[in-house]
Amino acid sequence: MSRLFLLAWRNVVRQRRRTLFALASLIVGLAGLVVFQGYISRTMAGFRDSTIHGGLGHLQIAATEKYYAEGEFNPFAFALPDAAGLARSIASIRGVTAVFPSTGFTAIAGFGDKSVTLLVKGYPSERMRFGTAADRAIDPDTFDLGPLSSGSEIAVGDRNGIVLGDTAARILGARPGDVVTLMAILPDGGLEGRDFTVKGTYAGPGRDRIFAFTDYDSAMDFTHQTAPPLLHIFLDNAEFAGPLAGELAPKGAVRTWRDLATYYVQVNSMFRGFLDVIRAIILIITLFVLGNAMNRIVFERMAEWGTLRAMGTTRRDLLVLLLFEGLLIGVVGAVVGIGAGFGVSGLLDLFGGIPFSDGGSRFLIKVVPDPGSA
Amino acid sequence: MALIEVEEAVKEYPLEKTVAPALGGVSCSVGGGERVCLMGPSGSGKSTLLNVIGGIDKLTGGRVRIDGRDLAGLSDSALSAFRNRTMGFVFQSFNLIPVLSVFENVEYPLLLGSMGRRERKERVMELLARVGLADFAARGPEKLSGGQRQRVAIARALVTGPRLVLADEPTAALDHATGAAVMKLMVEMNEKAGATLVFATHDPAVSAYAGRIIRMMDGRIVSDGPA
Repeated sequence: MSRLFLLAWRNVVRQRRRTLFALASLIVGLAGLVVFQGYISRTMAGFRDSTIHGGLGHLQIAATEKYYAEGEFNPFAFALPDAAGLARSIASIRGVTAVFPSTGFTAIAGFGDKSVTLLVKGYPSERMRFGTAADRAIDPDTFDLGPLSSGSEIAVGDRNGIVLGDTAARILGARPGDVVTLMAILPDGGLEGRDFTVKGTYAGPGRDRIFAFTDYDSAMDFTHQTAPPLLHIFLDNAEFAGPLAGELAPKGAVRTWRDLATYYVQVNSMFRGFLDVIRAIILIITLFVLGNAMNRIVFERMAEWGTLRAMGTTRRDLLVLLLFEGLLIGVVGAVVGIGAGFGVSGLLDLFGGIPFSDGGSRFLIKVVPDPGSA
Repeated sequence: MALIEVEEAVKEYPLEKTVAPALGGVSCSVGGGERVCLMGPSGSGKSTLLNVIGGIDKLTGGRVRIDGRDLAGLSDSALSAFRNRTMGFVFQSFNLIPVLSVFENVEYPLLLGSMGRRERKERVMELLARVGLADFAARGPEKLSGGQRQRVAIARALVTGPRLVLADEPTAALDHATGAAVMKLMVEMNEKAGATLVFATHDPAVSAYAGRIIRMMDGRIVSDGPA
């Protein structure tokens, strides 16, 4: 056996052109797969993070299951009892990085002779970020609610400020600094009205006609709520969401980000199916080229096989010899190919990543494979 | 008892819709120590006959016995071991293993047996010295001339001390003078080692080195007699 391995080693080392051709096909194919996998992995991880930070959090806890069906903008019937105590106890759990409340309500916004119906979300000011298109880095434990088009975010301590969507602001004709009047119906049937100063406007195709944001305290005060309907929970690891949801179940109606992000789940599933096909194509091309190279290794050496047989080598030994050669090329090719894949990915990351466009914005996506991606 | 006994050997190669007959019922026997030339034009069946005698090709019909053993009755491993111990092969295009040095090429048949390392080395160097290439042991085959390569092939064929050496057109790829030198070497080996030598050629000058000539045509023996 060692004689055959030695001969295989010599064949691989001394037949450089043949070996390099087989190695090159394996290395290029594997490196391509690693870079592709890394790109997809990081794309999906980015998509997951932007979903989580787009207003969900890793987990949400409400008083009842019904809240998730009908309470988001009618919070009055779903107050979470002892929300502050619950938030404190959850915050003490290992892996939890932030717990904070939110609320929402429906209102009519009026400015001059124009009006528009809004769904207003109220988050603590320090948890709201409106990054610009050029700088959408996601801060940990904050919601990234869309790039700011004009004005500014709501500063901590600012009361009765509002960030409108671009479309709503255009309909109203309002700009940062203008004061719009919000009118909302309270649970007792009374009508509440209050002036809110437009702090800024954000871009969000498909949602900037209807969604607006204010700070949590102003929202609670405006709607006369004493307890929030919902707590958002941020974790240091998205994979921890499932187990923690089980742990928190006795304390309320818990949803993980995955339960709530139906769009993400659908897109992820569709994207992965599509990517599996591309991955399979890369794999098939690699196997085809490699198979062709191995075929050449066999058929170019018919005289050699005949000579070895004439000298007394058995068919089994010839097969073992070929397997050893394949094994040597395979092991070296796999190690170098995977290493090259990580190397190329690292190099691409060094220059910012691979460009990706979501239709409105252009990003650079990192490609070093992220095993923790969704 | 003859070393080689061929009885009504038939070999046909299947083509798409028909078969190509290569041997059409050949019978002959060769005694130990003989020097036999298979002579005939291309396609006459001499290479096929060498291959079936060497057990490289299987017969479609008939029988080949070497030293009393019917080759058809041997398993692949038994036939391989038998070939390793009993036969040496010399090919027209030398067929040295390109990734092995001269020494390693000659050593290879011994590696298939159980000979110890030191004995192996001595045996290989002895054979290389006999073919005049002891100083070339470490070289690769690509650094040798055609004549030198064939001498390495002869050393390889003889290294296990076979009773039978089969050579298919051993001088066809060599110039006249080199071919003559190679044949003289093979004759010398035949005489000194006592190995039976069966070689195929279509060159009358080469056939002159044989003690017996078997002439073939269209897969059949047309004459068999002393050179």
